[in-house]
Amino acid sequence: MAQSKKGKLNFRCPSCFMRDIDIDMFFDEDKKEYYCLRCNFRGEEAEVVRLNEVARYRYRSLRMRVVDFGEDNEPLKLQPHKRGEQ
Amino acid sequence: MKNKLILNVIHRPELSPEYAEKAMAGGASVKDESLEIFRFQQDTAHKYGLKTTIQITYASLFSDVIIEMAKHDHEVYGDEIALSLLGLPCKEFRAKYHTEDFCIWMFSKEQKEAIVDDVFGLFYEKFGFYPASTGSYFLDAYTINYIKSKYPTVKCAVATCWEEGPKAYHTCNNSWYTFMDGGPWNPWIPSKVNSHCPASGIEDDSGIVAIPHLSRDLMACFDGNGSNFGTHPQNVLRGMIYYDDNGHVEYPYLYNLVDQYRHLARYNDGYAYNMMFVGPGWLNRQGRWEAPYELLAQSYDDGMRYYGRLKQEGKLVDITMEEFADYYRSVHPRYEVAECALWKDILYGSNKQYFWYADPALRTCLDFNQGGAMIDLRPYVARIPQETGIGTDNVYDASYPYLIQINYRAGFFTHYAGAGTIKSCKVRYHGKEADLCLCRTMARYEKLADGVRITANPVTVTLDGLDIVVESVFTFEEGTGKVWTERRILNDLGGEEVTFVEYFTGAFGTTEYQADMTKLTLSAGKEQMQYSYLGRTLKAAGDEVARVLIPDVLTVVEMGGEVDQVEVEEGIAFSPVYRLALTKTLKQGEIKSWLNLKKAN
Repeated sequence: MAQSKKGKLNFRCPSCFMRDIDIDMFFDEDKKEYYCLRCNFRGEEAEVVRLNEVARYRYRSLRMRVVDFGEDNEPLKLQPHKRGEQ
Repeated sequence: MKNKLILNVIHRPELSPEYAEKAMAGGASVKDESLEIFRFQQDTAHKYGLKTTIQITYASLFSDVIIEMAKHDHEVYGDEIALSLLGLPCKEFRAKYHTEDFCIWMFSKEQKEAIVDDVFGLFYEKFGFYPASTGSYFLDAYTINYIKSKYPTVKCAVATCWEEGPKAYHTCNNSWYTFMDGGPWNPWIPSKVNSHCPASGIEDDSGIVAIPHLSRDLMACFDGNGSNFGTHPQNVLRGMIYYDDNGHVEYPYLYNLVDQYRHLARYNDGYAYNMMFVGPGWLNRQGRWEAPYELLAQSYDDGMRYYGRLKQEGKLVDITMEEFADYYRSVHPRYEVAECALWKDILYGSNKQYFWYADPALRTCLDFNQGGAMIDLRPYVARIPQETGIGTDNVYDASYPYLIQINYRAGFFTHYAGAGTIKSCKVRYHGKEADLCLCRTMARYEKLADGVRITANPVTVTLDGLDIVVESVFTFEEGTGKVWTERRILNDLGGEEVTFVEYFTGAFGTTEYQADMTKLTLSAGKEQMQYSYLGRTLKAAGDEVARVLIPDVLTVVEMGGEVDQVEVEEGIAFSPVYRLALTKTLKQGEIKSWLNLKKAN
């Protein structure tokens, strides 16, 4: 069995990312899976990509654009961001 | 330039960027790529009509190509040629100093002086003048004072990276030793004694204007990884704060962040600031984590394009660091004037709101999702003469100590025992009690002649069937270390009496862990005690003062006011904190109190 190496993209562990730790994963060529050196996560690329989407759950304004910061003591005014716009 | 966003765009050519060198295993390809990255960054800024500050690194001083590029862009675009103390590593540096260290504040005093003289001397040799601007992730007072004494042309420097400390360390798998919590988030004039502290006057003025490394999200960075939430497009990618919309990657958060910094003009007499400083490693051809090069490059282009658009619309002015130093001093004629930010959540959809305040005497944050509780407090008035670097007590820890930091030291919520650091108020009635920390609200800002007033929207506390409507008002006396708090009863209590307990639970330190507390002296009026972890309490009449002396951070904390009783309490080993409290029972009206920070002699 050869040693593990980095994948074509340098995926971080999604489990650790969700607890605010950036740690590179390594790729096990024999098992075709990424794994974390710190926690017990292991998974194929598709699983990593899926969990990276899950990790965005906390960003509820991810797709929103602030249109007005409003009065100091009132909430922001937001609208859905439009593709290609700034 | 009032009410316009003042922008510094900074580029740093490196011939051995720390990330690319590892990823690409060194060699000529790294050098070629580094040149390409620098050219790309410069071209992108210029494409959108933006002026840059080129921070020449030690390694690139050995490159005639870089030097010619910098001279050309200075002549053609008006870019400033400055000198960075980042980017030290290269074969010439290692051969000369026999070290793998690269953070200027971590070297010994002798090494700091030698390196500064070396890079400034080489810069002069190549360009024929000394720079007006310099910087690093952090610059300690010793280094700033040395630079200013030897190279008085320097007037501006990158001098901290906001709230980069234990959080960044943890995020980097406990491997990234940049501990520099506790500084200002926006530019300031550093004290000669401790560079975190804004100068208190001409005699304390280090002679430079400091700027932070990136303009960071003042809410997301307080709890989360600072390196995900700043005006750094690739940091935003690092935080995965983007999404794919039919093949086009979108990151409106980056634009919202820039816009919130524009909005801060409202709290700073029309002054608003932003800086973008993307190191070359973030644009290498290998990509960074999940982001391929194409996305890294696109995001940089988009960031510059947005700034360029704001400039075209007359909402932004791009200037060099040297120009900024002059501008900053022109709009800050008084040292005492506070930097303020009433910051709204633009990422998590929470409606949370923080108020950040910094002046020469203190830095603090009020959380209006917790009724205006004080969740961070740094006693700048103490001017703690911290030294950093090899040969000192703080080889790498450059953070300015806190007295309150709710994420390192619990805050309101603890696990069933003890207390966390926070300043808030409890309301009592018929044996029931509620803490205003549990009242979610928002607040409005008001500038006073010599201070700032923040007024929270009224909240209702219900105890044993009695509704008590409370308005909290916080008044900061600029430059004095004094903060007034008023808790006003706004409704008719029908003759019922309620008790308010205004309290301050504090600690001290730079990390999550508490150092020895036995040097602390607590007093209520004339009674005093030495901290012994016994949970004892002292009480005195309401016209007296509650006080704690904390020798390790040269600070005295005092509280007093128009109250019935003052009190101090020491903690226990399981809960190493101290508590100051003021109590008043009333049927109507208000409890007015003050918190005062002083330097301990």
